[in-house]
Amino acid sequence: MESAEAKAQRNFDLSLTVNGKAWSGQVPVEETLLEFIRNRLRLTGTKRSCESEVCGACTVLVDEQPVSSCSYLAFEAHGKSVLTIEGLAQGEKLDPLQEAFIRNVGAQCGYCTPGQIMAAKALLRQNPAPTREEIAEWLSGNICRCGAYPAIAASILEAAQELEEKGR
Amino acid sequence: MPGALRLLQPTTPSEASAALRELGERAKIYAGGTELLFLLRQGLAQGDFLVNVKTIPELHRVLWNGNALRIGACVTHHELETNPLIRQYAPMFARAESQVANIRVRNQGTLGGNLCFNDPHSDPGTALLVYEASVMIGGRSGQRHLPLDQFLLDMYTTALGEDELLLEVQIPPLPPGWNSAYLRLHRYQRPTLGVAAAIKEKNGNIEDVRAAVGCVGPKVQRLAELESRLRGAKLDEAGKIIGEAKGYLRELLCPVDDLLGSADYKLYMTGVLLRQAVEKALSGDNKNRDEHGIG
Repeated sequence: MESAEAKAQRNFDLSLTVNGKAWSGQVPVEETLLEFIRNRLRLTGTKRSCESEVCGACTVLVDEQPVSSCSYLAFEAHGKSVLTIEGLAQGEKLDPLQEAFIRNVGAQCGYCTPGQIMAAKALLRQNPAPTREEIAEWLSGNICRCGAYPAIAASILEAAQELEEKGR
Repeated sequence: MPGALRLLQPTTPSEASAALRELGERAKIYAGGTELLFLLRQGLAQGDFLVNVKTIPELHRVLWNGNALRIGACVTHHELETNPLIRQYAPMFARAESQVANIRVRNQGTLGGNLCFNDPHSDPGTALLVYEASVMIGGRSGQRHLPLDQFLLDMYTTALGEDELLLEVQIPPLPPGWNSAYLRLHRYQRPTLGVAAAIKEKNGNIEDVRAAVGCVGPKVQRLAELESRLRGAKLDEAGKIIGEAKGYLRELLCPVDDLLGSADYKLYMTGVLLRQAVEKALSGDNKNRDEHGIG
């Protein structure tokens, strides 16, 4: 039988979609999804910050579920669909969440904002009409050190309402 | 990024075990990666090979066999908080799982990874001790079955041998007529104190009770002596009995100062949350999230 050492792969043949576009190629096993997105695809909206899954700045959706891309190995996304902040707008038209964050100034420095919006996107997919309390609970893992929380919550409530009205 | 890594993707426990045996310390079992990647990046753990146990299909099962839940080691926290079987047969455990860290960690992290890492600042083990859960371990010499408290030996230390892996966690439900509660204090998304209690009331007395405390010291503990003092007591005496148990709790729990709180604070709050958990279990109102959060 082949030894484990001989069998172990140094690189992984990865195929996935990012913001609807297919990508295939080899990545080193240790490459994180964050590195893959930022360095390989040059999509720099997703931010690196705490690298310990606490702050949420690196949040992206993998098959619609939020993950910390800093601590998620790229090979794990094989066969899956990744959504980053760059994938939310439809052409020139921003996502209702993005519009609501702009209207409410749901940011100060803006560094955490892509992660906040991606976490909110996942929330609204699971729960289209969240209460303020549910928003606070879901986003408890997305830290805003400027303290823009009230405006962030207001933005998400507004976007949810807008989506609901559109859906009617 | 951690240093260069090589990947093994076994499809059976024995294949994983053979890889661990061959590679020894150079290999790390990889499940959710939430703790491991952090440690590798910080240089707190070293490894050249990841043995990805998520490619073993049987480790993803959640089954009810008529007597117990059988949960594969690679089931994620998010699956545990939402799975209907878990919510039906171990609702207090499901509620504890819903409080683990944040939604991203719950999506990535696994029950097996959590128990095998055995960080004292953790929720699942405390709830599981009250259910008298056990674990199935597999390795070169076959499988063995251990009560959870004999698996979680000390902080960051388990009973796993070098070529062994955790296969599944077995959770018998609480007997009929019992109610339960899980309460916690947390900072920075990690608990600094977790209290689980289950209780059976009869005619205004505590007929039977189980309690466990985690995070306070190096090891999650069942409170056997306090349980026996509470057994048979009147319901309204429970708070007093818990209040008088401070010396016992200090000796058993070995509370330590850490960034999340002083030993004295944690010990004081252990008494507070134990009283609240008993009250909450007795009230039968288990629907709310049982959380006290700071920061």
